[in-house]
Amino acid sequence: MTDLTQAAASRLLIDTNHNRRPWGLLLVAVPVFLVGWLVIWPTISAIARTVWRLDADGNYGFNLSSYVFFFSDQYSLNNLGITLWTTGMCALLLLVICLPIALYLRFSSGRLPAYVQGLAIFPLFVPSIILAYAFIRVLGPNGMVDILLNSVGLPKIRTPYLTPWGPVIGLVWDNIPLTVLILLAGLGNVANQSIEAARDVGANRLQVFWHIILPRISNSVLVALSFSILGIFSAFTLPYLLGPASPEMMGPFMQRTFREVNDPLNAITQAVIAFGFCIVFGLFYVRSVARNQGG
Amino acid sequence: MARLEITGVSKQFDTTTAVADFTLEVDNGELVCLLGPSGSGKSTLLRMVGGFERPTAGSIRIDGEEIIHLPPEKRPTGMVFQSHALWTHMNVFKNIAFGLRLHHAPRDEIRRRVEAVLELVGLTGYASRLTHQLSGGQQQRVALARSLVLEPKILLLDEPFASLDQHLRERLREDVRDIQQRLGITTLFVTHGQDEALAMADRIVVMRDGRVEQVGPPSEVYRAPATPFVAGFIGQMNLLEGIIDTQVFACPGLAARIPIADGPATLAVRPEALGLSPAQGQGMGIIHRAVDYGSHVMIDVELPDGHRVKSMMPESDAWTAGRPVDFNVGTILAYRDNVLIYRGAQVEEQSRPAGRRAVRSNA
Amino acid sequence: MAALSSNRQRIDWPGIVFAMLLSTAIILPLVVVGTWAFTEIWRYPAVVPQQFGLRFWNQTLSRSDVWGALTLSLQLSTVVTLLSALICLPAAYAFARLNFPGRNILFFSFLAGHAFPKFGLLIAIAAIFLQLNLIGTFWGVVLIQLVGTLMFMIWIPVAAFQGVDRRMEEAARDAGAGPLRVFWSITLPQAGPTIVAALLLSFVGTFYETEGAWLIGAPGIRTMPVLMISFINNQMVIQYGAVLSVLLWVPSFIALMFARRVIGGSAFARGFGA
Repeated sequence: MTDLTQAAASRLLIDTNHNRRPWGLLLVAVPVFLVGWLVIWPTISAIARTVWRLDADGNYGFNLSSYVFFFSDQYSLNNLGITLWTTGMCALLLLVICLPIALYLRFSSGRLPAYVQGLAIFPLFVPSIILAYAFIRVLGPNGMVDILLNSVGLPKIRTPYLTPWGPVIGLVWDNIPLTVLILLAGLGNVANQSIEAARDVGANRLQVFWHIILPRISNSVLVALSFSILGIFSAFTLPYLLGPASPEMMGPFMQRTFREVNDPLNAITQAVIAFGFCIVFGLFYVRSVARNQGG
Repeated sequence: MARLEITGVSKQFDTTTAVADFTLEVDNGELVCLLGPSGSGKSTLLRMVGGFERPTAGSIRIDGEEIIHLPPEKRPTGMVFQSHALWTHMNVFKNIAFGLRLHHAPRDEIRRRVEAVLELVGLTGYASRLTHQLSGGQQQRVALARSLVLEPKILLLDEPFASLDQHLRERLREDVRDIQQRLGITTLFVTHGQDEALAMADRIVVMRDGRVEQVGPPSEVYRAPATPFVAGFIGQMNLLEGIIDTQVFACPGLAARIPIADGPATLAVRPEALGLSPAQGQGMGIIHRAVDYGSHVMIDVELPDGHRVKSMMPESDAWTAGRPVDFNVGTILAYRDNVLIYRGAQVEEQSRPAGRRAVRSNA
Repeated sequence: MAALSSNRQRIDWPGIVFAMLLSTAIILPLVVVGTWAFTEIWRYPAVVPQQFGLRFWNQTLSRSDVWGALTLSLQLSTVVTLLSALICLPAAYAFARLNFPGRNILFFSFLAGHAFPKFGLLIAIAAIFLQLNLIGTFWGVVLIQLVGTLMFMIWIPVAAFQGVDRRMEEAARDAGAGPLRVFWSITLPQAGPTIVAALLLSFVGTFYETEGAWLIGAPGIRTMPVLMISFINNQMVIQYGAVLSVLLWVPSFIALMFARRVIGGSAFARGFGA
């Protein structure tokens, strides 16, 4: 399967000239237009509108006051801080949880690993809205965990619901499948023979992992993390439903500024700031996907 | 029943020339092999006949009718692909019947013709199988049946046995040759395996870099290769660079009488034409290695300048590494400026110390 | 001998640990939701509900807002999937099989949507929709969802079309089929299952998409997930949310299982840039 898609992708780049007909352009025109109109243009426009706008005298000009406001407003800064903390914590937890699972799945076969893989991928099929509901019923006040602890005579937990840990748990749960899948695909590129050769010259398991496996999958690790970070940094549903009201993550913050405060300018400013924080991961992600697909 | 004429066909890909000014006529019922290393343009040529590539220049005619502007579906050709290219979402019957259905053949006729062609390729009773339930050889037979059922004027085979193992390949090529002869179908066959070409073809076209090196029946291509490239590509051949001086070719360790003008030349000797005898004295060469193939022994002999030549001899205790040997040269070929200039047999044993005996030309 | 048998019988401890931890973390929450859906009375701190029953199914299904949201979500997903197929499949075929100026750069331009934090991009789009009066309208939400499905609906079919062996198509041409017939009889059936999977993914993805629908659609457009948000935030009756979860989750699960089976794990991951 992997070989097939790779071959297909590389075929995209080399082709003969004899069917170079412009009506190919016609067929792709509509989706390309949509991307231009609904992805590229809004991004450019968002940046332009926040730095080049009407000042108090009614003249258009270069104006960074909305950014100055954001970075001088303690509430905004707190929101940014909690967002960065949540994103970092999720990335760390995802790596700690998913890398062992992926390693285990790569190097074993049979029914138990198949079951483990099935479970690890399962959250992919659970919409985050249902996840949020399940979270509240299990970890919320008087939830299932409390019930079970109570039944064996232990005290209740301090529920993570409506604390910063709420979104962290939900987002990690939500992002496990793709992280495992991406890592597993990366591990698929590590040949069994290269590991056996390392074992043969006397490397133990840890050394094999450190010297043979890790260098090969470091790109996959970065792709997996970039993908999760892009999703988590501006996550909305789970932080909105599970997180504290203040400080709140960038997602709910932007939404509230836009809809409830009805202040599009500051909402867009927040969006552009989110772009800025994620630009490195976004570019890295796009670059590796493009390179991958390009063969 | 058809005659294929390819005249002055060229194919240019961007900057590289895949086929250059190629001309060939294939007679009714003839099987012609296009033989060459990969990249020699043989597949491109076949695909141009099938209509999958458009020639940059030239003409392709079937029974005198120009087909160069026709798309593949309008050409009276049937192609069997290397990867067999069976349609995996159809069973064997549907694969074969597809073309007949396109021509709106009546249902009864389709069934009859599919069954007949399945019998022809030896797959009676396989009609309802799915393609992935077949072995590699069976899949290739279905691909052949799929082409034959439409009764094409020209059958095109693009390395059809390349993905099969040696044993199966030999059996299938005999079957294909039988079927081809029984139907008398004009066939163009692409291969890079010289044994396949020698075994099947009426004529062989040896190609290199998009050009023809030699056209001829297998025996001629094998016995009188027109260029050193053909000599080296078909079968095993010892090629030695040397100089002809007063009708004697000489290179380190070997001399042969060649009655042509003086100058540099390339000598070509097949291993089976290069006999050995244990040397009296230091010998013309030293045995480097001898490999016993059961029916014969293949001996590498190192010449004084370090070159090695191969000799094919019956099994004997005499061939052990390190022993000095003398050569008894049989039929030899000589090339100058890439052209065959001499072919003949050395009558008697030649030995360097006694290089005075008479030699009879046989060219 | 002893070494041999102990080798064969070796217990897969890491596997057991992973299986147990994941079972608890993944299955337990869903079992709890499932249990709530069929519960009539479950007072703390009983481990097992006091009374099971289908009373809340009846109540949930007789709410008009549930039916309204369900119809709207189905309409929305159908429209988006059809539109997306209509504009993306020809484009995918063009990317896979035709050559035209700027093909590679245009192909990779679909990645742009994934280069930004999603909700930030939604805000930027919403700002544009605000000027166009598309906020709170059906077609505004359709457009937003369409952007979300674009990359899937281009990239997966492109891989599918490219996965079709060109020689299969050539063999069909050779047998006498014209280009359109080849597409219909060979290319489409060969690429079919993967394309169906992409369609399913886009349907299910649209059905459950929450953020765009919430930001662009509210208050006029209430899709199923948006309704769920309000149930979670404001509804005192716990079972409504549970019933809705079970009701909505089962079909999507079946659809997605099918999609994943067809696309395959590694190709799936590759779609996300593994």
